[in-house]
Amino acid sequence: MDFYFGLLQIFGVHTLLGLSAYVVLLTGQVSMAQAGFYAIGAYAAGAATAMFGMHIIPAVLLAGLVSAAIACAVGFPALRVKGLMLVVATLAFGEMVRMIFFNLTWQVERDGALVGPNGAEGFRAIRYFPENGWEIWQVTTLIWIFVALVMAALWWMDRTRAGAVLRAVGHDEVAAQSIGLNLTAVKVGAMTAGGFIAGIGGSLYAHTVTHIEHGIFGVLLATFAVAYPILGGLGSVFGTLIAVLFIQGFLVEGLRFMGDWRSLLFGALIVVAMNLRPKGLLGDTPLRLGGLRRKPSSTPALQEAD
Amino acid sequence: MDYFFFIDLLQSLTDGLLFGTTYALIGIGFTLIFGVMRKLNLAYGAASLAGTYIGLLAFLNLGAPPALVFVISALGAGVIGLVVYYCCFRFTPETVPMASLLASVGMLLFIDEVVVHLSHGMPYPYPSVFRDSVIEIGEVWVRGDLLFVFLMCVVAMGVLFWLLHRTPLGLATRAVSQQPRAAQLCGIDSARVNALTFVIAGVLGGVAGAMTAAAVGVLSPIIAMGLTVKGLIVVVIGGLGSIPGAIIGGLLVGAAENIFLLLRGVTERDIYVMLLLFLFLTLRPGGLFGAHAGRD
Repeated sequence: MDFYFGLLQIFGVHTLLGLSAYVVLLTGQVSMAQAGFYAIGAYAAGAATAMFGMHIIPAVLLAGLVSAAIACAVGFPALRVKGLMLVVATLAFGEMVRMIFFNLTWQVERDGALVGPNGAEGFRAIRYFPENGWEIWQVTTLIWIFVALVMAALWWMDRTRAGAVLRAVGHDEVAAQSIGLNLTAVKVGAMTAGGFIAGIGGSLYAHTVTHIEHGIFGVLLATFAVAYPILGGLGSVFGTLIAVLFIQGFLVEGLRFMGDWRSLLFGALIVVAMNLRPKGLLGDTPLRLGGLRRKPSSTPALQEAD
Repeated sequence: MDYFFFIDLLQSLTDGLLFGTTYALIGIGFTLIFGVMRKLNLAYGAASLAGTYIGLLAFLNLGAPPALVFVISALGAGVIGLVVYYCCFRFTPETVPMASLLASVGMLLFIDEVVVHLSHGMPYPYPSVFRDSVIEIGEVWVRGDLLFVFLMCVVAMGVLFWLLHRTPLGLATRAVSQQPRAAQLCGIDSARVNALTFVIAGVLGGVAGAMTAAAVGVLSPIIAMGLTVKGLIVVVIGGLGSIPGAIIGGLLVGAAENIFLLLRGVTERDIYVMLLLFLFLTLRPGGLFGAHAGRD
C-alpha cells in the first residue's frame, strides 16, 4: 500500500512541476529553468524545517515565495530576449542553480548533529514528516491538497481576464502589444507564478524523499517539466495531469520490467508525439464547461463577394 | 600582482584560447542551423558526441589510426545530424515552433541515453596526437595536442568558409538563410538545403567533439551537456546567426573558462561562465555581432 501512496506523491510533485511550466508556456515562452526553481524551493523549504525548525506549511509557502522572487529577478534580463534565446538563458540558469547547490555548504548544529546542504553530498535528513509522526497517507493528502489548490487556481485564472491576457501574449505578441498589453509585465508575471508553483513542488518533494542533491535537478527534470504541458496540450490544466499520469505511471512505473531501456523511451516518446500531435494530446484551445453543453456555434464560412 | 601569477594567468589564457576553438565550432553549428531554419537544435551537442563515439568504436574494434578516427567521428556526426533533421525538424509543422524545439530536446535525451547505454556510462580513452610535445614561448608552454586541436578547428572553419562562399551549395545556403521564400522562387529546394546544412553542422560538431575528446584524452557521456551549454552560450555572446560572432564568442568562452578555473577552481568554473552569459543578456541581448537586438 505504501508503494501506491509513494507513487501518488510522485504524481503530485511532478504535476506541480508541470503546472509551473504550463503557466509560462501559456505566454508562448519555453522555460528550461523550472528544475532550477524546483531546486531552490527544495533547498529553501528543507533549510526552513530541518535547520530552523519551522512548521511545514509556512515553510512550503516561504519556499514558494523565495522561488517566485528569484524567478521574477531572472525574468527581467531573460525576457528581454525572445523565444529561442530565452530557452538558452533559462537552460543556462537551471544549470547554474545546479552548480551553485553543488558548491553550497552551509550547515548548522541541531540536536548535536550538523544539518544543512553539504556540497556534492547534498542535503540530508529533511525529516520533518517522520519526526512529527505523519503517516504516509497524511503526507500524500497534504501534497494533493496543494495540487488541487494550484489546479483550481489556474483553472479559475484561465476563465478570467488574466488567462485571456496570457493566451493573447502567447498567440501573437504584436497583436497583444497593439491592444495595450505590457508584454514584459505579463511575461515576468507568468514567470513569477511559475516560480512560485515550482517552489511549492520542490519543497514538498524535498520532504518526501528527505535527501536531495544537485544531480536530481538537471536537464532531464527540466525536460520533464516542459514536456508534461506540451505533450498534454496547453488547452487546460488537465492536459498536464494526464501527461504526468501517463509518463510517471505508465512509462516509468508500468514498464519497470524493461529496466534501463525505459529511459530511452522517454526521449523517443517526445520525438514521436511532437511529429504526430504537435499541439499536444488535448490541443491548445481552452476547454470550457459551457462548450460541452452548448453545441459548437457554426461559424459561417467566408463567402466571396461576387 | 607577482610574476608567477602573471605567468599562470598567461598560461591559462593560452590554453583557453586554443581550446576555445572547439566551442567556436559548436557555436558555428548552432548558428548555421538557426540561420537556415530559424530554429534551435538542442540535440546538436549530443549528436556531435555520438559521432565521436562512432569514431571511438572504430578505434577500439579495428585499431584505426588517430587521423582515421577523427575523420570517422566527423562523418558519423554528420549522419546523425541528418537523422536528427528527419526526426525532429522535417515533419513538425512550421506554425508550432515549440514542437520542433521539444522534439530536439527529446532527441537530446534519446541520443544521450543510447550513448550511456552502449558505453555503460564508463569513460573510454580516446586517441590523441602530439601528446608529449611542448613548444616553449618564453615562460609559456604551448601543449602540442592543444595546438593540434586549434589547427584542426581552424582548418574546419576554413573549409566551411570555402563551402559557404565559393560553392553553389554555399550560395544556396546563404540564400535560404536570407530569404527562404525568395530562394524557393529561384528554384532552390529549401528542404534539401536544410538537410545538407544539418549534415555540414553535424560534421563540424563531430570535429569539435573529436577534438574535445583528443584534448581531454578520454571520452565520457558527460561531455555532451558541456558541449550543448557552452555552445549555446557562445551563440548568445556572439549573436545568433553570426559566424564571426560564434568564433569570437568561442575564444572568449574558452579563455574565460580557463581563467575562472585558475582563480576559482573546477567546481565553480561553470557558474562564472554562465554569469558571463547573463551579463551579455542584460547589457547586449543581441550579442556582439547580432544584427537585431533580441531578434527571435
